[in-house]
Amino acid sequence: MENAQLISLSRQIALQRQMDVVANNMANIGTTGFKGSDILFEDYLMPVARDDLYAGSDRTLHFTQDFSTVHDMRAGAIEPTGNPLDVALMGDGFLTVETPDGPRFSRNGALQIDALGTLVDLNGNAVLGQSGPIRFDDSDVDITIGADGTVSSNNGTKGRLAVVEFADPQVLAREGDTYFSGPAGSAAVTTRVMQGSIERSNVSGVTELTTMIRVQRAYQALASLMQRQDELRTSAIQRLGETRA
Amino acid sequence: MKALYIASTGMAAQERNVEVISNNIANMRTTGYKRQRVEFQDLLYQAYRRAGSATSDQGTQAPVGIEIGSGVRTAATPRIMSQGPVAPTEKELDLGIRGEGYFAVQLPDGRTGYTRDGSFERDPSGLLVNVDGYQVQPGITIPDGATGIAISTDGIVQAYLGTDSTPTQLGQIQMYRFANKEGLESVGDNNFVETAASGAAQAGVPNTDGMGAVLQGYLESANVNAVTEIADLIAAQRAYEMNARVISGADEMLQATSQLR
Repeated sequence: MENAQLISLSRQIALQRQMDVVANNMANIGTTGFKGSDILFEDYLMPVARDDLYAGSDRTLHFTQDFSTVHDMRAGAIEPTGNPLDVALMGDGFLTVETPDGPRFSRNGALQIDALGTLVDLNGNAVLGQSGPIRFDDSDVDITIGADGTVSSNNGTKGRLAVVEFADPQVLAREGDTYFSGPAGSAAVTTRVMQGSIERSNVSGVTELTTMIRVQRAYQALASLMQRQDELRTSAIQRLGETRA
Repeated sequence: MKALYIASTGMAAQERNVEVISNNIANMRTTGYKRQRVEFQDLLYQAYRRAGSATSDQGTQAPVGIEIGSGVRTAATPRIMSQGPVAPTEKELDLGIRGEGYFAVQLPDGRTGYTRDGSFERDPSGLLVNVDGYQVQPGITIPDGATGIAISTDGIVQAYLGTDSTPTQLGQIQMYRFANKEGLESVGDNNFVETAASGAAQAGVPNTDGMGAVLQGYLESANVNAVTEIADLIAAQRAYEMNARVISGADEMLQATSQLR
């Protein structure tokens, strides 16, 4: 009798996780270079060991289990900003950023130059070129970044952005600060760099809201199911407990 | 359920966004103002199941894990230091900059302020000052009775003194630039001061070595584009509403739980 309640509970816990994912996507609807997440579920069969040889065999129960979150790697909207140090990536590539914990990958192309003249991201970590960090000196003006990632100024070429691609971007793990970590990627082939634009978050408000409503309704339906179940049990106890003298 | 707190970080971030947009709009007629924008970043992730963890004793591994984020934070409000439109004023001590660089003024607290606002005046002693009366660096004195003040694109100030038939050179306006001008700190009154992030100011002669040109009789308007700001405002407002909707959604889920008997 408790099975119905336990199964509902497993589904409710999973729905709460899904709600967290929706909330995180929605909170990052304005985050440059953000990629949304989606959560996948699978069923977990119980009991694991069962005896089906008899007429009243054990019945299989399907519990819900969250299985994985996947990255939604669709491109976000490209917004022109007119800022020469903003770059947007057209294609599946990532910029490589040198952090204290090792190289990280990011689609956030809002770049800056630090006091030492190094090309850095918003966290002050160096954005790597194919041969190490890209440095400017005081006399560099008119910085241009070509479609292949070549960074140049009035004094000539300064380096080429290390844009990498991954055969399967799902292997990447999220680190926060719009960083992804993972195995070394291969040099980009198809990705093009667009100067003066940034890539907005790829989260779509409509999709997230409809997902949220679905989650909410499913949750409420389960709550009412659990309540019915409880009423059923109450009446069973009352009926069966009646003493007939 | 973290959704409540996650959505609240989203609302706080969008609130910050609206603050910055409203400041841009408020300053759209401020001489030499540079618009700001807000950059957001996602907060850290909690891994409930790591990618690559074992899923059986046969050595199979989870190809992807479960990572739940914890919201958003404001990472920076960089200024967009692009050129603003230069508008004619026909006032001889109004200076606009076309290109890189800042004018320097001596702030009362001893620091040097850097500004793109070139609406200068003369004080009673003839010194070139900005509208707050702060002296332009290096100091340039325009004597009484000077007429026909001319300032060249490379900053040389000349005027006719008394009944002279040839102009006298009174000084040269210097300009300053920074390795990372986005790292300058705003101190209000259209002034910026240098920080460790911006690097030290490097003096230079206007219109040489990549430094911008001085335009006499012009002022640089704010680089705020009303249409962009209003579009950003609408986007921020809707994002705020959607995050509020997530909060009420999470609340209704909790309500469904609390009403269980």
